[in-house]
Amino acid sequence: MAAPCRHVGHHIQKNGRFLRININQLFACSFSESKEAIVIPRKKSWNKEAVLEALASTVQRDPTAYPYQFQDDSYLSPRTSIEFKLFSLSQESGRAAAKYFVNSNPKLFTKDFAEPHIPYLMPESVALRLEEVSQEALEERISLRKVSAAVEMYDQLLQSGTAVSMETTHKLLDLICLYCDRDPVQEGTPQTEDRRKPMGRQAMDFLKCTWKENNNAERIFNLLPERDARCYSALIRGMVKHGAYAKAFNLYEDLLNNRLSADVHIFNALISAVPDVRKKNNERWDLIAELLNQMNEQKVRPNLLTFNSVLKALRQCSFLAKTFSPQILNEMKALGIAPSLATYEHILTVFFYKSASSGPSNMAILQDVLMELEGTSFTCQDPNDVLFFATAMKLCLDNKDLELGYKVHSLVEVGENWRLLGDSYQQALYYGRFFNLLCLMEHIDVVLKWYSRIVPSLLYPNPQGMKNLLQALDTDSRLDLLPTIWKDIKSLGHDNKVDLVEELLSLMARDEHSAEVQESFAACALDVKSVFGERPKKEWSTSSLSHISILLLRANKLQKAWDMLQLFKDKNRVPSGALLSSFLTACRCSASPQRAVELVQLSAAFSLPTTPELAKRTLAEFELNDKQR
Amino acid sequence: MYRFLSRTVCVTRNHSLCVYEGHVFSAKYDNVSRVLTGVGVNPLSTCSVRCCEKKDNAIPSNQDEATNVDTQAKITQLQEETEQVKATDRDSMQQHSNVKVEQFLSKSSQVNTDGAKSGKESLLDLLGAMKVQVTSKKRLKNLKPKQSLESASAAMESTSSMFQKATVQASAQSEALDPDLVAAASAAASTLPNRSEAESELLKQLRQRKLLTEAQKKGDVNNLGVLLADMKVGKRSGRQNAWPTNQIRFDDDGQGYVRDRGITSELANVQKRRNIFPAKRLNIFSQTTDEQGDESALAKPTLWDIEFANELSLLTNQKPRNGFEEMIQWTKEGKLWQYPINNEIGLEDEASVPFHEHVFLEKHLEDGFPRQGPVRHFMELVVTGLAKNPYLTVEQKKEHISWFRDYFHQKEEVLNEADVYLN
Repeated sequence: MAAPCRHVGHHIQKNGRFLRININQLFACSFSESKEAIVIPRKKSWNKEAVLEALASTVQRDPTAYPYQFQDDSYLSPRTSIEFKLFSLSQESGRAAAKYFVNSNPKLFTKDFAEPHIPYLMPESVALRLEEVSQEALEERISLRKVSAAVEMYDQLLQSGTAVSMETTHKLLDLICLYCDRDPVQEGTPQTEDRRKPMGRQAMDFLKCTWKENNNAERIFNLLPERDARCYSALIRGMVKHGAYAKAFNLYEDLLNNRLSADVHIFNALISAVPDVRKKNNERWDLIAELLNQMNEQKVRPNLLTFNSVLKALRQCSFLAKTFSPQILNEMKALGIAPSLATYEHILTVFFYKSASSGPSNMAILQDVLMELEGTSFTCQDPNDVLFFATAMKLCLDNKDLELGYKVHSLVEVGENWRLLGDSYQQALYYGRFFNLLCLMEHIDVVLKWYSRIVPSLLYPNPQGMKNLLQALDTDSRLDLLPTIWKDIKSLGHDNKVDLVEELLSLMARDEHSAEVQESFAACALDVKSVFGERPKKEWSTSSLSHISILLLRANKLQKAWDMLQLFKDKNRVPSGALLSSFLTACRCSASPQRAVELVQLSAAFSLPTTPELAKRTLAEFELNDKQR
Repeated sequence: MYRFLSRTVCVTRNHSLCVYEGHVFSAKYDNVSRVLTGVGVNPLSTCSVRCCEKKDNAIPSNQDEATNVDTQAKITQLQEETEQVKATDRDSMQQHSNVKVEQFLSKSSQVNTDGAKSGKESLLDLLGAMKVQVTSKKRLKNLKPKQSLESASAAMESTSSMFQKATVQASAQSEALDPDLVAAASAAASTLPNRSEAESELLKQLRQRKLLTEAQKKGDVNNLGVLLADMKVGKRSGRQNAWPTNQIRFDDDGQGYVRDRGITSELANVQKRRNIFPAKRLNIFSQTTDEQGDESALAKPTLWDIEFANELSLLTNQKPRNGFEEMIQWTKEGKLWQYPINNEIGLEDEASVPFHEHVFLEKHLEDGFPRQGPVRHFMELVVTGLAKNPYLTVEQKKEHISWFRDYFHQKEEVLNEADVYLN
């Protein structure tokens, strides 16, 4: 009906404009047409970093430069992983010290240069200002995370008969349970320990302080006239966090008896505690399933962390895990919860757990997961997210699957995914595994391309990694690159690793090469010698001494080689007969009978079995004078 | 698919009929348009039928049915056309009482009887005759404008003779058309001699159409029932064979075969791979999507949430990779002035102030200033200047005005002496 009407209207609009008939219809028509024609574009809203983000996206990573954080300070130019750790720690601690100084002396920093004002640059108030007994004072203590002071204030308030609001009580219980009734280490206070590994340290802290019977949290909780689910939630989470698993489950039963319904955090905490309260795999799974069913009965929507903690608990249920983890993944998808990297990490670990017969089927799982994740950019949603890449690369390395390794790495390069590589330790693990995989499987040219890209800007290879690189060079017979690798070994601080250096020397000495290569090898060998000479503690091994001598001999550095022989004597090492015979050949080439005689004498001094033969050769090949004879 | 086919057939039939009916209305005013649209209906319906045909190409047994449908559609179309002819007869009857028209009528009725005699076997003949009729009508059209004016009064008088012709026509038609139609036609004929024929004829025609559509619909349904039954047989036989090969065999382009196999093998691969993750799920949670998630998002973050977020940020690598990223980090931490992204940077205080506060400042002159005279004049100039100044806030503008207010109050005596401060 509408369409003919429109047509009529359109007709009138076209022809009947002069007649001015049916003006209403005309309006209706033009209105409906304009409604279709104009599409109002959506307003584009920029966040305040938009311009900077656009600029930042134009900057590429420079593989030859130090990490950006060290570029300001020429003293902080890390060449090894140890230096990297040390410098970043010192940088952090310097910042923390400055912050502490500013905050503890606010009177000295009253000048405000910034216009408009920048509040962050002004000293923060870390000291308590409110002294009287009031709820505000309690709130202040809670916000400054002063646990014992807050508890004290709460007690005083109770004694004076002042009622504390439910919200403040929740906050107080949260605070006490989070820090397990202990004052947290305040940020900005001077510390003797390092701060760059806060997670490890904090975890240690939390493990150290265990939930005590009748601590302040429980005491306050028991004193409460009425308890709601939030109070239970705080306590149960605190108990699980600090290792009182059985207590947490008791409290949960208490909550159910009081006809309250738990929230999702309680369930998450309880599920993660399951492996500690049940010993048998079946019982563990039964308890998890029961908790999940209770969630559904109480109309609690599970979230990502729920399923991640289920999977984490399943990791300790060995054989059941393989059955149930795919089902859990499907359940997540059915509920519209996007799995995070941690989810996949758990599944991978479950399927590769203790499976010595990691056949193609298991790699297919990794392949599946990677296919699903391809091209997606992630944000960190779960603390275990940062383990994914290292785990996936480990699987690739274990199964020697180069193709999947590249896939994993391409996933890292998507968007901001590199942030999920985790801290420097995790990152080193990941890149180390990737590099080892490359050395094992890839052609040497590609390996060297990657080597120049990630070493040392992203990875400081460990001695094992360097050994793998040497082996890769050996397999593809590119031993002429050894001197440059030696330079890298030196700059990475691995020149004191005896086995690595010996590997290098033996590779250099194994075969004869062209004159140029021999020349560079000899220079390299001399360098090795000087490095060893600087460290008197390092013991020379016979093989390395003889390797260096041979290298020098091959490069016609007779004098240097002769020095090496003296070194044998000094270090009480015995050169091999083969070395001495080749020495003799070199002497003959340079026509120095004197030296040959000395060689024989030396050999006699070492009481080598080859001495007579050497002497014979000397007599035969050199024209000796009487004295020498 | 079969259901879809039948439905499309039905729909197109109905549609064409509706359209047709609509044009019967307009037929009175414009013969030509009616004829044109009447012609236009045919391609429409045949087109749709052809579409259906195309869709069913894959199944060989279907083609018979499709052709069946086609012929059937043709039959119905022919029926429609005969109806159309009848309608035109009536129109012309109404409008012209000339001998010419009567001649034409007799001719057309003859055509109809011819059609009736030959029956369905000579459908093509009928079609040809109708085309002749259409052309004759076109010729007629030229005469109409003159004749219609002349015959306006004559029309009334000649109704009786016209009726006679009509009954003849009806009887002639009765041989050709369905018994239902005959009944309808006779009913229409019986009511015709009334004086109110101008309105009633419309109604008759409508009614007739309605009956027609119903009858045709019934016929269609019956035919379709047969059709469907046939198709079911075809389908059974089709399913017994492996369908992909069948499809490929009847694919028009040769490429289909290779491509199809590629896709199926790919599919098989995917299925094989998917077997690792069976589609089974726990089935604990129901799939309700309620708004609880939003509620929790709205709630204030607790200490646990803050601590969790802090933990996550410590775990991930947040180190800047270049100077810009460092500046982003500083901006987020609040250490840096934010980079301007629009023209309103630094105007956050003024964002809530509407523009008229800036522009219309005369209201601030109402108290404390004289109503006229040089001071007032001066102040008006000041206000105009302020209104055009984009660099001051409203508060600053007000301050500026109030400074003058104080100033002139202080100088009131001096001004009064000079007789310039009025009021």
